[in-house]
Amino acid sequence: MLVLTSLSFSTMVLFCLAMTKHREQVLESEISILAVRFFRPFAWLLLLFTGYISVDMYGWSIGPALLFGAFTIATLLLILLLTYRAKIVPELAIVLSIIASMSIFIS
Amino acid sequence: MKDNFRQSMKWFHTWVGLVVGWVLFFMFLTGSLGYFYQEITRWMEPERPFIAHEVSTEKLLDTAQIYLNKHAKGVDEWDIMLPNARDQNLRVGWRHLVDSGKQGSRYKITVLDALTGEAVASRATGGGKLLYRMHYRLHYLSTSISYWVVGFCSMLMLLAVITGVVIHKKIFTDFFTFRAKKGLLGWLDIHNVLSVIALPFHFMITYSGLLFFLFTYMVLSTNLQINDEEFDEMLNEIYPGSTHLDSARQPSDMLKVSSLYQQVKNSWHADELSYVEMFAADDINAHARFVRHETDITYNPDDEVTINAITGEVIAVKINKYTGAGIIHNGFFSLHEGHFAGPIARWIYFFTGLIGTAMIASGLILWTTKRKPKQMKKANGPDFGYRLVEQLNIGTIVGLPIAIASYFYANRLLPLDMANRINWEANIMFISWAVLLIYPAFRTAKQAWSEQLLFAALLYFMLPIVNAFTTDKHLLNSLHHQDWNLAGFDLTLLVVSSCFAFAAYKMTSPQLSNKTSAQRNKQVSKRVNNKIVIEKRDHPSVQVTNDSLLPLPQANKEKC
Repeated sequence: MLVLTSLSFSTMVLFCLAMTKHREQVLESEISILAVRFFRPFAWLLLLFTGYISVDMYGWSIGPALLFGAFTIATLLLILLLTYRAKIVPELAIVLSIIASMSIFIS
Repeated sequence: MKDNFRQSMKWFHTWVGLVVGWVLFFMFLTGSLGYFYQEITRWMEPERPFIAHEVSTEKLLDTAQIYLNKHAKGVDEWDIMLPNARDQNLRVGWRHLVDSGKQGSRYKITVLDALTGEAVASRATGGGKLLYRMHYRLHYLSTSISYWVVGFCSMLMLLAVITGVVIHKKIFTDFFTFRAKKGLLGWLDIHNVLSVIALPFHFMITYSGLLFFLFTYMVLSTNLQINDEEFDEMLNEIYPGSTHLDSARQPSDMLKVSSLYQQVKNSWHADELSYVEMFAADDINAHARFVRHETDITYNPDDEVTINAITGEVIAVKINKYTGAGIIHNGFFSLHEGHFAGPIARWIYFFTGLIGTAMIASGLILWTTKRKPKQMKKANGPDFGYRLVEQLNIGTIVGLPIAIASYFYANRLLPLDMANRINWEANIMFISWAVLLIYPAFRTAKQAWSEQLLFAALLYFMLPIVNAFTTDKHLLNSLHHQDWNLAGFDLTLLVVSSCFAFAAYKMTSPQLSNKTSAQRNKQVSKRVNNKIVIEKRDHPSVQVTNDSLLPLPQANKEKC
């Protein structure tokens, strides 16, 4: 479940970085337009991957149900962070993805 | 009819939400608590023992069977429910004959002490189940009226969810947008965010909720189109019951449940067993059904193993046969109730339920916030309708949580030998709610909000303390025994208390001071950006007005 929530969080961070108004909230410096263009496709890829992981971990019926739950919680967390602590969003996304990938490989 | 489609949808969303909002708030809050009804019941029966660590499943099964052999001799079926993440006590259940000349029998669960094997005599309490039942079986109303009221409200909720999506112009652009500002803009953002992030849940829970009483709501359709035989056939298809052999009245020695369990262990992982059902015990037809936690939303035949209790052989019958319709129906029920959810998923269910509750609350508050500037300008003060909505808002949004706290207080403080104790627990809950609904009539809105919020914070903070004075199942003891279920309940109460305290603090604290507001402006201007500059120009008053609300025309420019 933690894995799903972390992956959902990273997905949502990518979607959010693809939007100009949120990118400026989160990032200190400007980044190249080329990189920005990759955010959304990457976000979709990660979304698909998260969906795959959810099915792989919990099966066809429970997996997608938990996926929606994970996305709800992750998005709530992201929205609150964007409003109150926007600067730590990228760090948190990276840390959570590392934890998520570690727990996948360990288990 | 309003001038265009979106406008009329908006009108519909507003008024539909308002009319049933308070009932929906009640349904969502008690329903969300329902995800933890077993945990709540355990807390409300403090006579139950603490968790017994490191007792093997076999030992638990033996303990239960010894008790059942003594007390449930000759019953058609008895069950052993093993301690699990939700309820950490060993329980047994069977149908008891109703005494005093009445016909029929009633299923009763008895909690056993896993160490001594004795039954635990708990106080009379409605427990979590009563609280959870309230969300579809409105307490004082008759069953059929409740179902119709609940159905009507759910139907309007479903319409509100759909119209809400229609009127949300920038659902993707504003997906992550939440501006923490007082007044209309802030509330609108809160309402949008809470609605959008949990939209799949809102839709699923409302739609599946309607399916529960399908044959009550669609009674005409089923009555007119099909005859009784077809109706029975359809019911069998949707609710496939498990069949089992009845007692042949030929006593026979059966194997111990714990030794039958060895068979099951071969096909399952360790500690997966959830409960055991024994049919025709000590009879030649005796057989046991071992059931583990659900591993599939719809139905997984591997989740149960039936064993002949005389020979110890696995009986290879798949009793339940689900058709497509049955799978969909069962799937929606399971999604609604979250049977498959483990501890973390259960918390997510609970939180998402609370998000739904908060969404309804924010919608109700939004109604008054939007009308406040106009109403405040009226010479004779606000209209009766406006004041009524505000009063009901305060009395429900803060009043209901307080009422629920008083239900818990009643559980701890009412005399144990009181007649009709269960009813009085609920009565006290509703009496407190009634008082809190009336109270705001005598205070200004702001006073009523902050006073009730503070009162809620105080009540929830005191609850673990009252628990410590009245029982031995208090936080220190439960932490010492590592009984996370009981400790979690008390800790959650403290968290709820601090949330109310924070809300009360926000309510009473002076609005954003000019200094912080200026700091914020500075931060924004540092990141010079066309869009932000435009936004600032568009809404200059947002930065300076705090308590006062946005003028309506400007607010209308904002998306809804």
